[in-house]
Amino acid sequence: MNAWWVSHLVLVQSTFISLLLALSIQVPLRAGVFSFAGVGSYAIGAYTAAILTIRAQLAPVLAIGAGVVLAAVVGYLLALLVARLSGLYLGMATISFALFLGVLATNGGELTGGATGLFGAISTLTTTHVVAISVVVVLLLAASERGAYGRRVDAVREDPHLAVSLGIDVTRVRRRVFVVSGALGACAGGMNALLRTTVSPETVGFHLVVTALTMIIVGGALSWAGAAIGAVIFTWLPSVLQVVGDWQLVVYGVLVAAAAVWVPGGLLGLAQDGWRRLRASRRRVPPEGAAAPAAPVAADAEQQLAALGGPAAEVRS
Amino acid sequence: MAQDLLNALTLGSLYLLFALGMSLAWGTIGILNFAHGSIFVFAAFTAHLLVQEVALPMPAMLAVGAAVGAVLSLLVQVLAFEPIQRRATDHRKAEMQILVGGIGIAIIPLAVAQRLTGSVPFGYSAGTFRVSTWDLGFVRLSNVQLVTLVAALGLAAVIGWWLRAARPGLALRAIGVDAEVASMMGVDRRRLALLTMAVAGGLAGLAGVLLTYYLGSIAPETGDAFLLKAFAAIILGGVGSIAGVVIGAMVLAGIETLVLVTTSGTWAPAIAFGVIFLMLLVRPNGLLGRQEVRRT
Repeated sequence: MNAWWVSHLVLVQSTFISLLLALSIQVPLRAGVFSFAGVGSYAIGAYTAAILTIRAQLAPVLAIGAGVVLAAVVGYLLALLVARLSGLYLGMATISFALFLGVLATNGGELTGGATGLFGAISTLTTTHVVAISVVVVLLLAASERGAYGRRVDAVREDPHLAVSLGIDVTRVRRRVFVVSGALGACAGGMNALLRTTVSPETVGFHLVVTALTMIIVGGALSWAGAAIGAVIFTWLPSVLQVVGDWQLVVYGVLVAAAAVWVPGGLLGLAQDGWRRLRASRRRVPPEGAAAPAAPVAADAEQQLAALGGPAAEVRS
Repeated sequence: MAQDLLNALTLGSLYLLFALGMSLAWGTIGILNFAHGSIFVFAAFTAHLLVQEVALPMPAMLAVGAAVGAVLSLLVQVLAFEPIQRRATDHRKAEMQILVGGIGIAIIPLAVAQRLTGSVPFGYSAGTFRVSTWDLGFVRLSNVQLVTLVAALGLAAVIGWWLRAARPGLALRAIGVDAEVASMMGVDRRRLALLTMAVAGGLAGLAGVLLTYYLGSIAPETGDAFLLKAFAAIILGGVGSIAGVVIGAMVLAGIETLVLVTTSGTWAPAIAFGVIFLMLLVRPNGLLGRQEVRRT
């Protein structure tokens, strides 16, 4: 176990960092906000952490924390700016925001190290910290997906107009996901910069958008668990897929395209559909005794909602 | 100065050829094809593979590029976008799935091209075509520049005329206004969508081959940059407007050339992003756009 842990340390680290990055896109998507600002926040977090560590020798918790706060503030301001946009237009505006930050870093001169980036951000951050932070984040997100708040977010995604008429403050939910997405992206970026001790403009380009999206689409966009499935698959697939070797990227492309076309709910959606069907087929057996009707009626109502594509049909775990 | 203007016009023409099909597909059948950049590169790359075997002249290379682009674009439409549109429950979801599917599909031809070239730029030096330059006194015009300018402006004019005057063009515009009503009026949506995607792909392939001739060689990664620039040009001019995309492409190329000439050029890639962001904030319909941006 110990030897395995040591030899796979880098993969373990990147699994959790990818998970946080994927979550920074998944959180907005869950609320129906098509924003890639999390990728820009990744750049903000990575550069802030690296600069503070190299120039001011700050402790990793402060360096990453500063990046998280900065990215959260930027996320809030961005949410105010792009409040009018939705759908594709929002997606493209946030992609350009993220890519603009890359150009900004290239032109940052002394502060960001220009095109070569920054080196030697050595800190005391360990894998245990990364895992602990990820677990805390996942627990918080899992809690936010349950109960009344989770259902409110579902309503905002499925039908913003209906949500407004139900008294849900859609604008506030949207601003909140921008802030959370910024914080998550910056956390991933900061930890990655300190673990690898380096950051450069190439590490924060368009490919990050593709990577994060790939994980969420294949895993499932409606829950943190989908992002987790995607992060595990796409971090570990290269070591399993060595047979495919150089054609690995082609396999990725096929997987993403197939998932986008045939399985919009991702692997998680597929698993949940299967589970629901299994449960339904078990319940169809007519129960004996007088007390039986109560429960099946409730289950039926939920299923009817699901069949109509209502909120109960959506993934909740 | 005149030389810079000519270079800007050539660059603008290349953006135009690339963006024209994207804008047409987005403004009429509602498909924003993110695999467009990949199709563009792969068409140029196929022409490169072919010219390594047979020394072809330039017109044949252009035809190969356009044909490969059209076929790839049709494949994407039939294999991915049509099933998505058929299965999606509502328009907004279909739009997102098409964007994501496009990004996924874009990886495939790009990865094949990167694998086969080892990410080394490729060119057409094996072909029979040679770049020659005419000195007109105040500017130097190369034959590639001439072909690019004529092709881009000519094709934009033809497509603009076709949309405005021809009956299928009218039908296509009708789909852009209201797809349901258009099909009730007897418009064959599927056939027109396939035609639009084929034309878009063909234009992308043409742009790819011309860019390779113009620059001498291109790297497989060029497609991503072009995609975002085309998007900036479309947003600047207004989605679906042919005159808009002409103006957008030329203005974008003009600003980029200006920045390249007056500064060290490291800010040049940021212009497209800045244009997208500012236009979406200030005037999401674009300079000449007529479609209302959907808001919630």
